[in-house]
Amino acid sequence: MVTLVEELVLLAIEDDGAVAYTAGAPGFGMAVIGAALVELNQVGRIDADAKALHVLSKTPTGLPALDRVLTELAAQQELPIDQAVRSLFIHAPEIVRLALAALAARGILHAEEKRFLWVLKSRRYPITDGREQKEAKLRILHSLLSDDLPSPHDSALIGLAAAGGLLEAFLSTAEIARLEHRLEDIGGLDLIARGVEAAIQDENAERAKAAMLPPY
Amino acid sequence: MNVTIESVDGVSVALPAGRLDFGAAGPFQQQLEQAIAAKPKALVVDCNGLEYVSSAGLRVFLVAARAAKAAGIGFAVSDLKPTVKEVFDLTGFANVITICVERASALASVTKPA
Repeated sequence: MVTLVEELVLLAIEDDGAVAYTAGAPGFGMAVIGAALVELNQVGRIDADAKALHVLSKTPTGLPALDRVLTELAAQQELPIDQAVRSLFIHAPEIVRLALAALAARGILHAEEKRFLWVLKSRRYPITDGREQKEAKLRILHSLLSDDLPSPHDSALIGLAAAGGLLEAFLSTAEIARLEHRLEDIGGLDLIARGVEAAIQDENAERAKAAMLPPY
Repeated sequence: MNVTIESVDGVSVALPAGRLDFGAAGPFQQQLEQAIAAKPKALVVDCNGLEYVSSAGLRVFLVAARAAKAAGIGFAVSDLKPTVKEVFDLTGFANVITICVERASALASVTKPA
C-alpha cells in the first residue's frame, strides 16, 4: 500500500532516479504537505472546513512523514488551509526525505549516491520495478479520460499532482490544456487539495511580485 | 448528527441533521451505502437540517455518488444551507453531482425518464 504522500513523491521521480523538484519551489513541496494533510484527515487526526484546519488528535499515526506534519500543526495556532500549507512548506524537504526512506525500506526504490567530477555528490532513487508509479499514473489517466467519478484518494492525488506541476512528467502541455476542464472538475473535490492550490497560487503571485521590485 | 431515511415513491431520501464532521462521516457513509444497497429508484440527500460540513464530511457525498453510479441509480443533493453551500461551491461539487435548490427539484431530476 502506497500512501498519497509516497505516490506524489513517486510521480516526481524521473526515469534515471532523479527527483525532479527543487526544495524551494512551492508547487511540489506544498503538494506534498497537502498530501500529508489529506491523509491526516482520512485517519482522523485533523479535519478542515472553509475557515480553518483543526487538530482532532495528536496521537501519532506511525507513519513518520505524517507524524512530522501533525507535530508541527499541533504546535501552531489554527489557520485556514492555504495559510497552514504555506506555514508548513518549510518542512517539505524533510517530508520528501521521509517518504523516500519509507519507499526504500519497502524495496519500491533504492537510494544511490553518485559523485560528479569526483567531488560533487548527487543522490538518485531508481525505482525498482515501477509498478506503483505506473499504477498512480494509470489511475490519474483513467480518471481524466473517463466520465467516472474518482475516488476521494484519486481526486486528491489528481488535484495535488496538477497543483504541484507533476502532471507534466507524463502528459504533454497540449494534453494538459485539452484536459483542463476535466482537471478543474475532479481535481478540486477535496477541500484540502483545493486549499493547497490556493496556497501555491498565492505563493507564486507573491514571488512574482517580489521579483518585480527594484533590488534596492 | 442524526440521519433519517424516508422513501418517496421508491426514491430514498436521506435527511442528515446537525454537524457532518470527521466523527459523523463514517456512520453517515454507512447509512448512505445501506440505502443504496436496498436498490431504491434513486437517492436524494436533503441537507435542509445540515448545519456544517467538513472536508471529511464532504468526502461522504463523493463516495455515495460513486456508489449510486456503480449501482445504476440516480443521486442528487438538495437544500444546502449557505455555510454548507460555501464548501460545496469551493470544491466545485456541482460540476460532478446534481445539486438542487430544493427537494422537489432533486426528486424530479433523479426520476425523470432518460
